[in-house]
Amino acid sequence: MIKIENLSKSYGKVKALDSLNLEIKKSEIFGLLGPNGAGKTTTVKILTNLTKPESGLCFIDGINVLKHPQEVKRIIGVVPQENNLERELTVYENLLIYGMLHKVKSLKKRIEDILSIMELKDKKNSIVNTLSGGFQRRVLLARALLPEPKVMFLDEPSIGLDPHIRRELWQIIRKIKTEGRTVLLTTHYIEEAEALCDRVGILFQGRLIALGTPMELKKNVGEYVVEFFNENGEFISEVCQSREEAYEIAKKRSNGVILRKSNLEDVFVKLTGERIRKIER
Amino acid sequence: MLDWYPIFLKEMLQFKRKLLRLGYIFSAMMAPIIYLITFGLGLGRTVTLSGGVDYLTYLFPGLVAMSSMNNSYSWVASTLNLSRLYFKTFQIYIQAPINPFSIMIGEVLAGMVKGLFASLLILFVGFFLPSGFKINEIFVLALLLNCFMFACLGVITGMITKSHEDTATYSNFFILPMAFFSGTFFSLDRIPHVFKPFIYIMPLTHTNILIRKNFIDTEALLSLFAVLFYCFLFFVLGYLLIRKYNE
Ligand SMILES: Nc1ncnc2c1ncn2[C@@H]1O[C@H](COP(=O)(O)OP(=O)(O)OP(=O)(O)O)[C@@H](O)[C@H]1O
Ligand SMILES: [Mg+2]
Repeated sequence: MIKIENLSKSYGKVKALDSLNLEIKKSEIFGLLGPNGAGKTTTVKILTNLTKPESGLCFIDGINVLKHPQEVKRIIGVVPQENNLERELTVYENLLIYGMLHKVKSLKKRIEDILSIMELKDKKNSIVNTLSGGFQRRVLLARALLPEPKVMFLDEPSIGLDPHIRRELWQIIRKIKTEGRTVLLTTHYIEEAEALCDRVGILFQGRLIALGTPMELKKNVGEYVVEFFNENGEFISEVCQSREEAYEIAKKRSNGVILRKSNLEDVFVKLTGERIRKIER
Repeated sequence: MLDWYPIFLKEMLQFKRKLLRLGYIFSAMMAPIIYLITFGLGLGRTVTLSGGVDYLTYLFPGLVAMSSMNNSYSWVASTLNLSRLYFKTFQIYIQAPINPFSIMIGEVLAGMVKGLFASLLILFVGFFLPSGFKINEIFVLALLLNCFMFACLGVITGMITKSHEDTATYSNFFILPMAFFSGTFFSLDRIPHVFKPFIYIMPLTHTNILIRKNFIDTEALLSLFAVLFYCFLFFVLGYLLIRKYNE
């Protein structure tokens, strides 16, 4: 559904994307992980026509994004990293203007529908500024869904939300997937990627350093983790390939050892940490 | 065809909210009233113009031109700048399946409404003052073109400024001098010859010439062409800047 070939983009001396290759399948939730400045937002911005790359190609549903932006705009929806609702207008007015811009058919009815789907009915006439962060995110999602896009881009959709609201949001995102839409989401929250994503890619300095299902990535890096404090009081966390290997390490420690299964966070920390150490050398 | 309408509508909804806060209208009327009092009534009593025109009658159309310029321009320049750099709401237009041309039209029409609104306020104030000023077709044409021209210029600065402070800088360099040196407050005959080329380059000068005419003569025709030329130039530049948008 989304295909990215050798995509590169620099801002001055900073290489935001360094010949990125990636393919995202239809109806999957794909998670793009990566530390701050890895190039996640840049990827989303190129795919959603806000910026142009120096080189490379990208296609959405077979359409060349750089050559036929207008056609691509008709089939995508975007929830940007920074809330860009019209803050002095009401929820309804925000949806109305967006719907008109995207030429949504029988718009008034569609707005009512989306308001009830997103449980925003009683906020319809509230000024956006008066809503809590959680509701504003929901309005952003409702707005993006209004034209029924085939592909959704969610750039850190749950940033700044409390755990309860975040889980509500996850439910909504899962629902978007069951409607057959493809979702590309970026996040810092590893548990979010584990909870939602069919596949994840880890981006680091504009390059993809890992790609697969959360399960595959955990297997590759090591399924077990031993954690303890060493002689100097430093916290050590070692990822091991097998249970036996983990036991060996654990046996040498006298007290306070934790042995557990690895999670995506371990994968993330291990892979990006290795890279950082390599660069420092 | 009506792709520009949602953009215009959004600006109008925001404008409506602003108007509802009563303070806005009073503050918008402040500047013209001050100008009318200081220049028209105070200073004006001592000024005599050739042809027996009283100063207030002379000043009035100039104030309308200046105020429509200020409001069309600064509204567009500043909302565009803010929505592009801070609120990121401008990005919604870029990401919508509409032509950059429609974005340009929507922004410019909204700017014109602001300019016309400010002009109406002055006309309203002027209604209570003793002057021989009368509205004619040329006045209306000049006013509309002036709003259009400066709304387009507003788009240009709104698109090229790198921060909100830049908006004030541009305004101080281009708009403020124009307000004072292009025939708003005094006749262009009084300006020394060396400065004339600069004066006649300023777009507002030509609005000021045109807006005071009772009939079309050669001078009016030339100014009309100058205004039309600037309208075209600013519109095309604004359009190209929107089309070239790239973060
Ligand atoms: N408009 C810009 N001008 C200059 N540099 C930029 C610009 N946008 C992004 N960058 C740089 O490009 C790199 C990638 O940024 P990007 O926003 O894509 O990262 P990100 O993965 O989304 O990070 P975060 O998790 O913090 O949102 C960073 O080094 C950033 O500083
Ligand atoms: Mg980002």
